[in-house]
Amino acid sequence: MTAASAPTKTRTSGGSRIMRWLRSDWGARITFYLAVLVGWQLLSMAVDRFPGPWETMDFLIREMFGLSHGGVVTGQFWKHLIVTIFRFSVGLSVAFVVGVTLGVLLGLSSFFRSLLNDLMLVFLALPAVIWAFLTVMWFGLGWEAPVYTVILSATPFIAVNVAQGVRAISPDLHLMSDAFGVPRRDRIRHLILPAVTGYLFTGLRFGFIVGWNAVLLAEWFGAAEGVGWRSRFWYDAARYRGFLGWVLVFIGFIVLVDTLVLRPLQRRAFRWRAPAADNVEVGLPDIEHDDRIPAAI
Amino acid sequence: MTVESTVQEKATRSAAPRVRRISGVILGWVGFLGIWVFVSNVVLDQYTLPGPLKVWNEMWKLISSGEFINDFTSSITKTFLGFGLAVLLGVPVGYLMGRSRYWKSFFHDGVVAAGSIPGLTYAVMALVIFGTGFRGPIVAVGFVALPFIALSVAEGMEGVDRNLIRMSTAFHRSERQILRSVTFPSILPYVFAGVRLAFAIAWKVEALTEVFGSSDGVGFQIRFAFQSFSITRVLAWTLLFIAFMLLIERALAIIERRAFRWRTWEHA
Repeated sequence: MTAASAPTKTRTSGGSRIMRWLRSDWGARITFYLAVLVGWQLLSMAVDRFPGPWETMDFLIREMFGLSHGGVVTGQFWKHLIVTIFRFSVGLSVAFVVGVTLGVLLGLSSFFRSLLNDLMLVFLALPAVIWAFLTVMWFGLGWEAPVYTVILSATPFIAVNVAQGVRAISPDLHLMSDAFGVPRRDRIRHLILPAVTGYLFTGLRFGFIVGWNAVLLAEWFGAAEGVGWRSRFWYDAARYRGFLGWVLVFIGFIVLVDTLVLRPLQRRAFRWRAPAADNVEVGLPDIEHDDRIPAAI
Repeated sequence: MTVESTVQEKATRSAAPRVRRISGVILGWVGFLGIWVFVSNVVLDQYTLPGPLKVWNEMWKLISSGEFINDFTSSITKTFLGFGLAVLLGVPVGYLMGRSRYWKSFFHDGVVAAGSIPGLTYAVMALVIFGTGFRGPIVAVGFVALPFIALSVAEGMEGVDRNLIRMSTAFHRSERQILRSVTFPSILPYVFAGVRLAFAIAWKVEALTEVFGSSDGVGFQIRFAFQSFSITRVLAWTLLFIAFMLLIERALAIIERRAFRWRTWEHA
């Protein structure tokens, strides 16, 4: 109810300092995280099988520092993380090169677009788990299945975004550059590059999120090491705190990389764009179009 | 005379790219199937990568035996129920986010993070909490689709014309009337766009959840085919499922265009 009347209500500056802090942006964020923690605790008390935050943290610390899990089984962490990140980076690099090439071709030639449009739709719709199944059946348990799964699921997302960027360059600007005899070098520098870099980073970001999901799935179903395999190991042992601990690692990795690296890069590359003026209230944490998220499944 | 000739000219001029486009589409499919046949017969073998004909026969068998209809119905029902849950929770969250700065900051991180979390997480957590019933997929779909719907509603709330609201308050309309006649109609298109976007993701999560633990549904069948090492069946189930889901998405897009035709001038 307070929310419904917010725009017309003038913000009251009264109340104690704590109350004011609680109502600030940071207060709201921290309240949210606390609420999540409380919700998790309640959930673990309601559902027997679901471990609580403290058990999970305890597990994670043991896993990270190679301590005993109560028995002969000791923690393994960095080994798996490094293997997975290596597979992921190899796959993503290949996907990026192939995706950008495809995207440029798709953006420049309308014939190429009609050639591949339907196929792109199908490939975008293919869930990563299908690639994981197929590559596991083709290559068995090893490094191949995860790497190929990343390539096959991330490439279409990168290609589509790059194609969108190439197409977004206004033909009028090309025409005008022709009319004013703008040299090719300036054209690339001031017209094509700024228009495409933003989409390149969006493509990279989508590829990152989709590829991370893909590598986990492939390792879950067919690998002998890596974080996907390790989380499955705990899941199969019915030690759900182990599974949940690794889930925190999956989420932490992608959310950290996304907020600290990918989204700032994307925003920087798009800064030439005029902000959408009309109804924007100054200073609100913006929900931009670029916060949009791919179907990481 | 002149008008007619220009019209004709225009027609022939636009016919050429159209022919080119259609031939491109056909060439694309023929090329794709050609590569598939070549790889499955020459590079690999029919067992490792079954050719299109073999997969097609399997698909036909699944449809004609009624097997597909059963599992597809089960999957689609769960998807839509989960979707209902997402709309039920996502619309209020989006409404709050669009309306107040506090709630926007409150939900912002969660909503943005929720979209980048690997689908595996949702699927297995649903399995741990709910076991292999029908509730797991529904809740997983609900949680995956929620942020997309909330974001769209919030975006729609920001697009509501403040001047119209100001005018309505100036003419002493009640809060309820404003909500009904100004806010609601202008956020509805955004809600619909969010629903369509979320649907594309929702059915994938639904299938994934069934892959991890279920006793029926398309995902279960794909898992079963994987475990019996039948690549043909994996491909057949997958392609059928994708085809039907893309059809439903297309239908949603057409409904969306029809329903919101009145506001196209705004995008033009």
